[in-house]
Amino acid sequence: MPTKVEGLKLARFMMVLSSISPLVVLWAIRGSKLLADKYLISFCAAMVLLPNLFLWLRITTARKLNLKRELVVGSAEDHRDHLLVYLFAMLLPFYPIDTGTWRDMAALLAALSFVVFLFWHLNLHYMNLLFAIRGYRVFTISPPTDDNPLSGRTTQVLITTRVSILGGEHIVAYRLSDTVYFEAKNDGQG
Amino acid sequence: MTGKAEPKAVPVTEFGVGLEDGEADEFVLVPVDDEVQTALEEMITATREQLNTVTASRYEPSEKYGSTEHLHLPLEDELASHVRAIHEANNLAVNARVLSNPEKVFCYFVRNVDGKGYRVTGIRRAGTFKGVLKSRLVQLATDALKIVEDKIFKLDNDFDLLVENSGISILRPSGFEFVGELKDAILGAAPANIKKLESDLPFVDFSSVESYATSHPRAARYLASICVQKETKNIDKSALKKLCASTGVKIREEKGKIVVEDGSLMDFLGVLDRRLYQVELVKGSPESFRASSRSRIKTG
Repeated sequence: MPTKVEGLKLARFMMVLSSISPLVVLWAIRGSKLLADKYLISFCAAMVLLPNLFLWLRITTARKLNLKRELVVGSAEDHRDHLLVYLFAMLLPFYPIDTGTWRDMAALLAALSFVVFLFWHLNLHYMNLLFAIRGYRVFTISPPTDDNPLSGRTTQVLITTRVSILGGEHIVAYRLSDTVYFEAKNDGQG
Repeated sequence: MTGKAEPKAVPVTEFGVGLEDGEADEFVLVPVDDEVQTALEEMITATREQLNTVTASRYEPSEKYGSTEHLHLPLEDELASHVRAIHEANNLAVNARVLSNPEKVFCYFVRNVDGKGYRVTGIRRAGTFKGVLKSRLVQLATDALKIVEDKIFKLDNDFDLLVENSGISILRPSGFEFVGELKDAILGAAPANIKKLESDLPFVDFSSVESYATSHPRAARYLASICVQKETKNIDKSALKKLCASTGVKIREEKGKIVVEDGSLMDFLGVLDRRLYQVELVKGSPESFRASSRSRIKTG
């Protein structure tokens, strides 16, 4: 089997950056001893607006170009608890760090870049407080266990407003990345 | 062919390719935009239109078919196993970069799911799809032709076959046999087909036929065709011996069983497949014939 190359690298990276928006907002509110507010707030605003604009563009493009696919559900797990992982990995460790010196700042950015890389590499770009705020839930969809040798075996992530997903359901969703799919509100759920 | 995309009545149109990769084939989805989806839907429509111009007949592996036909095969048929797997495969992996290595692509397909979950799969052998890459394409830029340097993939006008839950509609038998890996499937099914014949014809020793058919695709095709017809159940032993004698098929009888001579194995299968026959239009001058193609005539 060929090595699977994950596509949409830039989109996934921007989605990870989008997911750290709340942390950036907190930094902007807290301020910095090293940077004047006008620079810090400009930087934070760009870090919030650009990735989220990209995420919005990605969803809009997927809908406009009808980039849908059918997901057949073997089993589905509601992963709201992943937001806790997000809190522990992103917000809690990075918010309280004091950036009194440039070395502190560099260490903070380096540590954050490692986390961003891991989120990107592990396809955790679906973790985003914005989805939760908008009423979306995150489900991990495992494929049905059939004996068809051609069927996909990897799990997919579905961002949806559904409260539950049953095994055997066929769901049509927009592709945000190779493993993350988005079912918009009023998209014929049922 | 493409034109402006219209709003769709179907919720999903997925495009994918089959890749040759060592021992196992792999099927992946390739994301396509709404205009390509429309073009693929038009290919399905064009295929249906071509199929509808001819009355359908059942696919038989021993028949020699023209380039385009209208053949039908039930989805649950053993010969349809590979095509059925493509049609029924769920949650295929997505790989948008797979077309950067087009020489591995041996077929492409579209999967169309309507609002009620009814699935139609169109499959096409990738001859033209790949062939374009080997030729030089030109396009009109300003007032002069220039070589197109980008990789361009040309879709065909129709599919080789359409797969639905009701069965497989085959427009191009050669495409179906290639994509469905029929050669291997028919050879692999030979022992099982021999078992079926042995239960229907207990008075025939099939050991020599089996060893021949497992290594000769044509014989394996005859075997598969005989089994598809299901017309061996009540064959009369003396009638079989008589037809063998009149068509020159060399057999002998050992311990009450008919044993086929090595040189007559294909002809014996031809007899069972209703391809060897004798007519006697001139009294006292019987003539024996071999039919390269045949279809049952319904009388009465």
